[in-house]
Amino acid sequence: MAAPLKIDYAFNAQDFESSAKIVKFTILKKHQEPDAAQEHELASFEETMLPHMDAAHNLAKWLLRNEEDAQDVVQEAYLRAFKSFSGFHGSNGRAWLLTIVRNTSYTLLKKNRAVDLTTTFDEEIHTAGHESVSPATILEHSENAELIKEAMDELPVQFREILALRHQEGLSYKEIADIAQIPPGTVMSRLSRARAELKEYLAARISKDK
Amino acid sequence: MNCEEATKLMDGYLDGELDPMTSQKIEQHLRDCRKCEQAYEAHTALAHAISRGAPYYKAQAELRQRVQSSLRDAVGVRASRSAARENHASLTSRWAKRRPVLPEIPWNWLALAAAIILAAIIASSFLPRLRPPTSDQFLATQLIASHVRSLMADHLTDVASSDQHTVKPWLDTKLDFAPPVVDLSSEGFPLIGGRLDYLDSRSVAALVYQKRKHFINLFIWPTTPKDSTAQTMVEREGYHLVHWSDGDFTYWAVSDVNINDLQSFKQLFEQQIARH
Repeated sequence: MAAPLKIDYAFNAQDFESSAKIVKFTILKKHQEPDAAQEHELASFEETMLPHMDAAHNLAKWLLRNEEDAQDVVQEAYLRAFKSFSGFHGSNGRAWLLTIVRNTSYTLLKKNRAVDLTTTFDEEIHTAGHESVSPATILEHSENAELIKEAMDELPVQFREILALRHQEGLSYKEIADIAQIPPGTVMSRLSRARAELKEYLAARISKDK
Repeated sequence: MNCEEATKLMDGYLDGELDPMTSQKIEQHLRDCRKCEQAYEAHTALAHAISRGAPYYKAQAELRQRVQSSLRDAVGVRASRSAARENHASLTSRWAKRRPVLPEIPWNWLALAAAIILAAIIASSFLPRLRPPTSDQFLATQLIASHVRSLMADHLTDVASSDQHTVKPWLDTKLDFAPPVVDLSSEGFPLIGGRLDYLDSRSVAALVYQKRKHFINLFIWPTTPKDSTAQTMVEREGYHLVHWSDGDFTYWAVSDVNINDLQSFKQLFEQQIARH
């Protein structure tokens, strides 16, 4: 993350009065002479990609379940996207950006492997006898947004991902397949499992609270 | 369709991602089977609850600023502006000491103002694109969706046969028109079968051809005044579409094969028809 460091330096520079720092700063400036072509590319990039920042942040937040990490990932993803923007010729900017956000998130998740990726599904809750919970009761409780959020947060990362892409972004199976890098035929079965697991969790919670 | 199949395809049906024929079969099954119908209702309610209940985490204004300044920095636009500030700060060094925080405030406001102006520019330059897509673009989207669906739900063909004399009569009885069917296996595009599809509010014939491991869906329907007769080629989302018409029928070939293969497919198809 060299880029943000440079900004900090540029801002803090004025707090230093030693001339050595100023000299350093001038060199930095010369090195970064703005280039009209690049500025033009940036404008075009921002026009295409900035409208999708909510989607980018939402996906990152669901994958990482942590605001700070989500923000870092969004920033990093935008920088990566900008670097490879010349290779983007498609019409679906949101799907393209979300693919990068997803990959960046997984890189971070893998780095913190100890904590995530194979989310521990609460076995006790999972296997508790909740067969007695009727679909009607589950539906009644599913009106509780807080409970839905909690349930979704408990699911493994692949399920949180697919539910966010389908239910929040309203993406088609084809788009989901591209972003999650799975065959189109797998999207339906994974979505089906994700929904079933969520229902299972709701049932478990309800019978536990009884 | 039995309960097991219906359960397996329920999510695809719920999401509107199945082809029309399979959807009809599921609908039929739901009408006949009380148990599956209840399961479907519960499943739909759950899906709505997820859509409604799961919080959507929007990006904060602060993050927007952060991303934009890091992008500026990547390009180097920021550097010259900051340097000017730096010079100014060193001239008024008396002030510099007691404003470690203050300088950021006017900058933040400037950034905010810049962001608003930028947003306005972006919005205005986006307006032309917000117009509804042309009917051709809409059709292309539908064609690709049909193509993908036919490969996904394992529903490539309603009548699987490499014999044009089997496929054609089958289609003739299902449609109110008789689409031309030719076999191109000697030219490297074997006929796999035919299928009924529904596009742009009408029933259409879909012929399925194969090229190596790839499939080509050829959609055919009688040309109406609203169909464009101009020959077109479209590339979208990695799929190629080739469109032509021969007076009687309108053709759209959709596939992920390369454009040259699809073009030669079109030529071979036309030649074969001319021969018949």
